[in-house]
Amino acid sequence: MRQQTFFRMLRAAALAAVLGCAGCGGGQKEQPALHLYTWSDYIKPELVARFEAENHCRVVIDTFDSNEAMYAKLKAGASGYDVITPTSYMVSLMHGQGMLRPLDPALLPNRVHVDPEYLAIAVDKTMAHSVPYMLTNTGIAYRRSKVRDFQPSWSMFDRADLKGRMVMLNDMRETIGAALKSLGYSLNSTDPGELEQAKRVVLRWKANLAKFENEQYKNGIASGEFLLVHGYSGDILQVQAEDGDIGFAMPREGGAISCDDLVIARSAPQPRLAHAFINFLHDPAVAAENTGFTQFLCPNRDSYPLLDPAIRDNPGIFLPAEVKAKCEVLNDLGERNALFVKVWDEIKRGG
Amino acid sequence: MPEARPRWTMRLGRRLSEALLTLPSFAWLALFFLVPTLLVFVLAFRPADPFGGIGRGWTLATVRALADPQYLAIAWRTLWVSLASTALCMLLAVPTGYAVARASPRRRNLLLMLVIVPFWTSFLIRVFAWKTILHPEGFLKKALVLLGLADANASLLYNLGAVVLVTVYTFLPFAILPIYAAAEKFDYRLIEAARDLGARPFQAFRRVFLPGVRQGLVTAILVVFIPALGSYVVPDLVGGTESEMLGNKIAQRVFVDRNLPLAGGLSIVLILAVLTPLLAVLALQRQAAAPTAGGEP
Repeated sequence: MRQQTFFRMLRAAALAAVLGCAGCGGGQKEQPALHLYTWSDYIKPELVARFEAENHCRVVIDTFDSNEAMYAKLKAGASGYDVITPTSYMVSLMHGQGMLRPLDPALLPNRVHVDPEYLAIAVDKTMAHSVPYMLTNTGIAYRRSKVRDFQPSWSMFDRADLKGRMVMLNDMRETIGAALKSLGYSLNSTDPGELEQAKRVVLRWKANLAKFENEQYKNGIASGEFLLVHGYSGDILQVQAEDGDIGFAMPREGGAISCDDLVIARSAPQPRLAHAFINFLHDPAVAAENTGFTQFLCPNRDSYPLLDPAIRDNPGIFLPAEVKAKCEVLNDLGERNALFVKVWDEIKRGG
Repeated sequence: MPEARPRWTMRLGRRLSEALLTLPSFAWLALFFLVPTLLVFVLAFRPADPFGGIGRGWTLATVRALADPQYLAIAWRTLWVSLASTALCMLLAVPTGYAVARASPRRRNLLLMLVIVPFWTSFLIRVFAWKTILHPEGFLKKALVLLGLADANASLLYNLGAVVLVTVYTFLPFAILPIYAAAEKFDYRLIEAARDLGARPFQAFRRVFLPGVRQGLVTAILVVFIPALGSYVVPDLVGGTESEMLGNKIAQRVFVDRNLPLAGGLSIVLILAVLTPLLAVLALQRQAAAPTAGGEP
């Protein structure tokens, strides 16, 4: 008797589960879903809602915290993502591996708004498989009240009076790149002699550094733990908004400009919707709103006049022409990446 | 021998039920520990391609790469940070375990609670709390500067000392608990007897109490030393430019260099380093057990 009741209940539960699933499956079919794989807090939520309403779709956002982690996941066979926002060097790597879908220019009328000045230094200049999404400059942030006689130069890391209170990025390309720039070389240099000199510069700086750090430098400069940090403009601007004592500058020797690009995965289930999304983000009004939210700069020329003056007049975001001329984009070095790994290992080891 | 068969079947039955009982845990370990470990082992002998993938064929390139002196320096640092942390933990845990075991039952429960309380907060949050305590603008630093014990510009964080301090803090409860468990079962009349026979207090502690709680000491050493070898978060958060440990190097190989075979090779070094003390303890215990089983030496 008791057993009978149990089985009846079980059957009812199974039936309910089947019905429930059928219900949600039906809902999904009505509204296609666009899967976006991106960095956290990297798009204004209201804009996502607007795109969903305009295109009668859902946008599902999944986040990654490093290009390598994202790459490893896709390489391991993750599929179902439509639009991804890797950094340019990773875009060329993924393109080389055949992981990206060529873009259809006819579906991207807003590409005319993309800043040609940026495209000139971009990796994918013709936007064949990627459209630039957000730019960031790697520069120096400092506490105005504590750092006397600040100079916008990489040589700040030689200042012994700031010893133990400075950090540089735990990123071999950025940090060795800064040293290469300080010597007047390209930050994509793979010349062994130039790398050797750069290594000696970083080793000299290292003696003054508290540590190499990618994440905590933001809190560190906010809490006054660090007085001078090597970091990304977008991150620093977010901290600056809460603390006026923090300054940011691009070193006069030049530095790295990084760009995260919008790309469509080869296996994208919704390529049309993905194109529509990329096109939407490059509508000048949308781009300006997004820049205001993320504090990173969307390289959309026609959005610049619509930006808040505080952003438009910030030399850390809109670089002065003479500094900009010395800035470069980090390229994927392919097999020669190993040269940087070797130098970085030697720097970490302290030899 | 009419009894032989039933006894034989009984023994078989017992073995069978034993096997059945251990099967779930064995299957679990095999699936989620043994197989992944073997995969890591295999990975170390495959070539790396510059795109983060794994090449075809087999190679000893990783083994040769591991001979690079930089790994020796990191392995040496990992070893001595772990040894120093273990030694400090024991130095603090033995008297604590002893004191807790000797306390009155009510006090004992309170003390045990206090040992366990840190587990109520996430490990990461506790590490970040240390960053606040050791902050260069923090109370402790200011007090030290006022007393003339520290330079105003010096940082208490981001050095190996901070790594050892936070490691000791993290693992101390794990060291206290097994020592307490052993000390609680210890017959303290033995110490009284030693005192009656003329031993000084410390002598009695060292020559009667410590051997009596040996099992607890061994467990405590293992539970501190082994996880310390695999440290990654602590040196990453409170370590400085010269605090890289094996765990950090493995993470760099995976996430930055896209070199999985080399990460696999380093992981094997770490696994072997963890197994060595375990096997040493097992061998010592077997050796210690053998003569007693064979009679009084």
